[in-house]
Amino acid sequence: MTQLNGRRRVGLALTAALAASVALAGCSSSGGGGGKTEITFSYLWSGNEAKALEGVIADYNASQDKVVVKGVSSPDATKQLASMSSTSGSFDISDNFDSNVGSWAAKGVLAPLDDYEIDTDAFVPVTLESAKYDGKLYAVPIAVHSLELMYNKKLLAAAGVKPPTTMDELADAVRKTTKKDASGKVTQLGLGYAGSDATTLLETLGYAFGGTWDKDGKPSPDEPGNVAGLEWYQKNVIDAVGAKALTNFYAGVGQYMSAQDPFYTGKFAMVVDGEWQSAAVANTAPNLDWGVTAIPTATAGKENSTLVTSSILFIPANSKHKDAAADFLKYLVSKEPMETFSLALGNLPARTDLMDSDAYAGLPGIKTWMSGLTSPNAQTRVSAPYSSQYSDDMQVAFEAFSRGQTDAQGTLDGLAKKTASYDGQ
Amino acid sequence: MTASSAAAPRARRAGRSGRRRAWVRGTLFSLPFLVGFVVLIAYPVLASARYSFTDFNLFQSPTWVGLQNYRDLFADSSFLKALVNTLLLTVVGVPLTIALALAGAWILNLPVRGQPVYRALVYLPTIVPAVVGGYLWRWLLNTEYGYIDYVLGLLHLPQPAWLTEPAWGKPAIILMSLWTVGGTTLIYLAALKDVPEELYEAAALDGAGPWRRFWAITWPSITPVTLFQVIVTIIAFLQIFNQPYLLTQTASAGSAGQAAGGPGQSMLTYGVYIFDTAFRHLRMGYASAMAWILFLITLAVTAVLLLTSKKWVHDGDK
Repeated sequence: MTQLNGRRRVGLALTAALAASVALAGCSSSGGGGGKTEITFSYLWSGNEAKALEGVIADYNASQDKVVVKGVSSPDATKQLASMSSTSGSFDISDNFDSNVGSWAAKGVLAPLDDYEIDTDAFVPVTLESAKYDGKLYAVPIAVHSLELMYNKKLLAAAGVKPPTTMDELADAVRKTTKKDASGKVTQLGLGYAGSDATTLLETLGYAFGGTWDKDGKPSPDEPGNVAGLEWYQKNVIDAVGAKALTNFYAGVGQYMSAQDPFYTGKFAMVVDGEWQSAAVANTAPNLDWGVTAIPTATAGKENSTLVTSSILFIPANSKHKDAAADFLKYLVSKEPMETFSLALGNLPARTDLMDSDAYAGLPGIKTWMSGLTSPNAQTRVSAPYSSQYSDDMQVAFEAFSRGQTDAQGTLDGLAKKTASYDGQ
Repeated sequence: MTASSAAAPRARRAGRSGRRRAWVRGTLFSLPFLVGFVVLIAYPVLASARYSFTDFNLFQSPTWVGLQNYRDLFADSSFLKALVNTLLLTVVGVPLTIALALAGAWILNLPVRGQPVYRALVYLPTIVPAVVGGYLWRWLLNTEYGYIDYVLGLLHLPQPAWLTEPAWGKPAIILMSLWTVGGTTLIYLAALKDVPEELYEAAALDGAGPWRRFWAITWPSITPVTLFQVIVTIIAFLQIFNQPYLLTQTASAGSAGQAAGGPGQSMLTYGVYIFDTAFRHLRMGYASAMAWILFLITLAVTAVLLLTSKKWVHDGDK
């Protein structure tokens, strides 16, 4: 499995952690012979992604004679954390998701990177927001993700609709592409969500209606724009077929990104999903005739709004070779290695100077996701100590909302009450 | 002075030093266990008791918060949900496990050909790695492709959405737990084999039927084993983790969040919530408080069972 996105990878890593009970990290890296500093790069990637990364590491080792990097594929996030909790860790540089940066930085686990002269101007600004905590840089993005509206060309054509550009057009397209059989069972859904819940879809709808989930660095679930986004979803997706029928429909669809993925098999006419799908569809559903367009706008001035997340690189505070690790980190996020690696992952690069690169031309639709990334309305979630708790609470609230248990305002009021208790964390 | 009177103090001395030697030797032999127990069990248990009164994130020194964690827990809707879910699973799961294991053991004790094969088959699921079993069950329980709903459909029975409908989450967990009932079954099988055959013969001569023989002979004879099984099964259900965790793992787009718990948090169990709190949210103090509450619940339930056991556990020696 090479095309795993963020959440799945964490899930698998945690599973691996369970299956093989948590082993505390072993040996630490040591200074190599011949005057070279040996550092360990422990990464969560595996399979083809790891192979691509090893190529980049070999290039770096050949390019200079001061540092030797040893790459270790270790897709076990719990082990990664355990290593960072001891005085002497088992690696000098590693990767994770931007959502963890705030939590880890607040706990003193990450080394601040401000003194290492990383050329932050080279990065798409939104990608650095979640790599910072308390004004300091603690991580650097290597591969980033944005979400856009993917559509099944055949299903849209059959319904006589064009790819929508406004929320009203989207509502119309959803209505025309949602189908039920005589018994009321949904057989085709106009707008589906990617993965196992509606969280990311609803987050992006909030943005499209001018909302934000983290206003001034604090959770702000009950912003009017978010409420409007959820209300739109309730009216046009949930109430259009009935919450019960919608739940039953989702119970019957295949697993995300498998050959039975509902978008791949034509059960969704449209879905809000990330750029990794471009490579994934080509691998898993090569016959699918699909297109991608910007998430429609509800509010003037909020065109091309999207949610941006990143895979980031960081240096743990307990690394004994921070200077050498920083040198390697700078190499990894320089133009060519980032291009090679993000391409191998089928992800977006974080550097501005790669946005026009022809290297990504083989990935259909990638320009749409890139334009989302560079859009002034691209947003990223604040990375704070409470981020994982906020994500969980959001997921629980949205799940109840999707089942018709709570309405838009009620859902977000309840969530706001939960987030109010995060102080202290 | 007779020889015997001179020998007595010597013998006492020899006895004393012999006892001391035995004590030293015994201590040395048990040292590996004692060291392991102190370092790996006693210390962490005591440390977690202390952490439960602190705000501790694993990386920074804990700060004392007194009873705050315990107070917060009882205002935490997810905690209460997890507690209720776990108690429900225990109340339903334990009697089902015991009944099914006993019935299974009775069948496996029948004098039919190929019994060793059947016994091995019943035990087999217990040795399947938990993660493998979990993914197998996710597939079996799938509404669209799963065998379980397929078979239910053939029988014209309702086909529940096991993993997406809140009402069916807990039955799915119990179903998956009962799959590994083989361990409990084998212990019961051994207990059944221990019931003296002559008791049955005597009862048969007195004209007792199979039902009477079960309640008058079998059940009393295996009550000590039942007591053990009930306690162990209750503890297993109170700590249930693998099944709900594996059944509710999610794959989603765009972020690293992952809330286990299933639809409407119907499968959020105590163990899963402790895991999430400790290892995903890094709130070790809060998780320790939860662990201690679970420990006290387990202790109370076990104490009640042991205290009432005199009334229903038949001790053959007395």
